[in-house]
Amino acid sequence: MSDITKETETSKEDLQRLEKALEFSNTMKTFNLNKNNLKVKTQNLLSHSTSGGSFTVDQSLISFMNFVVSSGKTEITLLDKNGIPVYIEDTEKFLDDISSLYFEVVNDYYNEYQKLKSSRKIEKVLEI
Amino acid sequence: MSRGIIIFAQNNEYINYAEQACACAGYARRSLSLFDEICLITNTETLAPNETLINEYFDRVIISDNFQPENIRLFKDTTDKLEYAPFKNMSRSEVYKLSPYDETLVIDADYFIMNDILDQVWNSDNDVMINSKYRDISGRHKENIEYIDNFSIPMYWATVFYFKKSDFAENLFTLISHIKYNYKYYYYLYNCSGNLYRNDFAFSMALHILNGSVAFDVPSLPINYLNNSFDLDDIYRVNSHNDVIMYCADAENVSSHILSRFKDMDLHIMNKKAIGRFIDDLLSHGEKV
Repeated sequence: MSDITKETETSKEDLQRLEKALEFSNTMKTFNLNKNNLKVKTQNLLSHSTSGGSFTVDQSLISFMNFVVSSGKTEITLLDKNGIPVYIEDTEKFLDDISSLYFEVVNDYYNEYQKLKSSRKIEKVLEI
Repeated sequence: MSRGIIIFAQNNEYINYAEQACACAGYARRSLSLFDEICLITNTETLAPNETLINEYFDRVIISDNFQPENIRLFKDTTDKLEYAPFKNMSRSEVYKLSPYDETLVIDADYFIMNDILDQVWNSDNDVMINSKYRDISGRHKENIEYIDNFSIPMYWATVFYFKKSDFAENLFTLISHIKYNYKYYYYLYNCSGNLYRNDFAFSMALHILNGSVAFDVPSLPINYLNNSFDLDDIYRVNSHNDVIMYCADAENVSSHILSRFKDMDLHIMNKKAIGRFIDDLLSHGEKV
């Protein structure tokens, strides 16, 4: 008899743990959705257009432009995000512009991500 | 080079598209700065009862009273309400002729611009820019290129597109118009689904034909993804001109929702009834002429 009671008590604990896990899964669902939306926002904001072309700004474009500028090239032709060649007449300015944009956008992403990560309460994160 | 943003709006008995277009114009004016005018293309029936409001948000109004055949669409307001109503979306092919601008950015009357990325379209080398990649804010579909059908061509979203007066753009709109008037033929040719005439389909077919009916890439807008909120989602709160909190329909159970906040991020809100419920907030956060 006593064994059965113990088993029931354990089941209740298990149930509570399960409820907690499922509740946490709901929190994670909200967290993941908001994180993905922040990611898409960042991808959209990391866009720079100049001389009739559009560029997706990422670490490889910045590294490549850094190499171009370090090599002393002041003007080049680059392929933009649509694969169209675009003439860049001032490589140093272009590098400055894309680097600033990258740091600004990724820094905002970091701040918003930290805010999202640090709070388990969605009301707090969304300022509802 | 003149630059204009164009929005189409033709009311039906279910939705006041004119006031939604005003809200979108207000958001566009607030976020973008490198255009000359925002223009509404509408019909006499829609203009008459909304003229005062329209004049507050639009620099120019163009009337197009072309006959539009019946195009009945199912409108959803989350999973709660479903209603069929006429959908008057067939004048979009006329935009090339109607646009008074050298460069035109066309946006849907439910597309809310909340950052300045689309200012990058002006002075582009491309004659036409349109997106095929989209993302669903609820995460039901992942980063995606949709196809008209599994055995058909990629779908381009006519929600937002850019064109400049050019041979390519003129030919494109001539083809779109031809497809519109012969839709049944092209509908079967490209394995379309649903009974609705869709601008997305007509644009996709025209782009495919114009590019020689082979695999092709059409330049995309500076935004990488069109950020779609489908009609199962709802608006929770409008905080400002660049900050909206949405109820996103849960991928596993669309009748329950997850909150998500959209700040500095364009939103294509397809739930028209939701826009209607928040129209005063949306209008008040936008910028007038």
